[in-house]
Amino acid sequence: MIPIRCLSCGKVVSAYFDEYQKRVQDGEDSKKVLDDLGLKRYCCRRMLISHVEVW
Amino acid sequence: MEIEIISQDNQELVFRIEGVEVSLVNALRRIVMVEVPTLAIEEVLFLKNEARIFDEALAHRLGMVPLTTDLEAITPRGECDCGDHCSRCSVSLTLKGKGPKTLYSGDLESSDPQVKPVLDTIPLVKLQKGEEVELEAIAQLGTGIEHAKWQPTTTCAYKNYPQITIDQDKCEACGLCAQQCPRGVYFFDEKENKIQVVDLENCSMCRTCSKDCPNQAITVEGLGDKFIFRIESDGSLPPWEILTTACDILFQKAEKILDYL
Repeated sequence: MIPIRCLSCGKVVSAYFDEYQKRVQDGEDSKKVLDDLGLKRYCCRRMLISHVEVW
Repeated sequence: MEIEIISQDNQELVFRIEGVEVSLVNALRRIVMVEVPTLAIEEVLFLKNEARIFDEALAHRLGMVPLTTDLEAITPRGECDCGDHCSRCSVSLTLKGKGPKTLYSGDLESSDPQVKPVLDTIPLVKLQKGEEVELEAIAQLGTGIEHAKWQPTTTCAYKNYPQITIDQDKCEACGLCAQQCPRGVYFFDEKENKIQVVDLENCSMCRTCSKDCPNQAITVEGLGDKFIFRIESDGSLPPWEILTTACDILFQKAEKILDYL
């Protein structure tokens, strides 16, 4: 499962993961989705980009 | 001292502060980060956990969930005379569910309607078919000095106010600084054949412009007595309340010194 907060800055990133994953799967550009979700720092953005949901 | 607010909403407060030393601004920053109290889940009583996640891992996840805090209504842990936890110094939240489903922070049921998770969509635990979770979580006040889950801010930082001087006698209006600046501080006005500083506050003082300028016409400095201060809240407290509470704490510290004189 995705960590609740960004490991570097502490922003709650997990709350946006379901929406991020769904919108990217539907073919939206992940850069645009991250901007929409208000994740502006690269530390928070990598949390969503690099996460792989295993179980 | 002069303060001018640049932008303010429920999440973030940005302001210019002028006529102060680094020591005061830094004292405020440190108090905001680790001494302003907020609520977070401190103790979890598991009645049932059949999920694949271990108790301690789930308890840790619960601790990281930011909760809306009313500092007036709840007594800090150390100051309550109950010894453990009671309704004066804690709020109880319960989580219950049976798989197959994912439990979210919105599924936490709070005993106090004022205290609830800031965001309802934080995934806490995934349950397979037939797996059940039932637990009671106790939220208490604490400070970031004990554990980062009690930090009210995500970003809290200041920078010296940038000052850019372009020596017009040396500048040949080549436009290289406008091209090189990674922050879009400059604009090359081709009609007037002149470099303009359009976004001064975005300058990070990397000095790429002054290094790359062929005639050394640009100097970038940080003012020693003017700062841009940014407080980003995790949602538990509004940023202006975090700042005013920090000022109160600093004031109380100063009073303690006076008591000894």
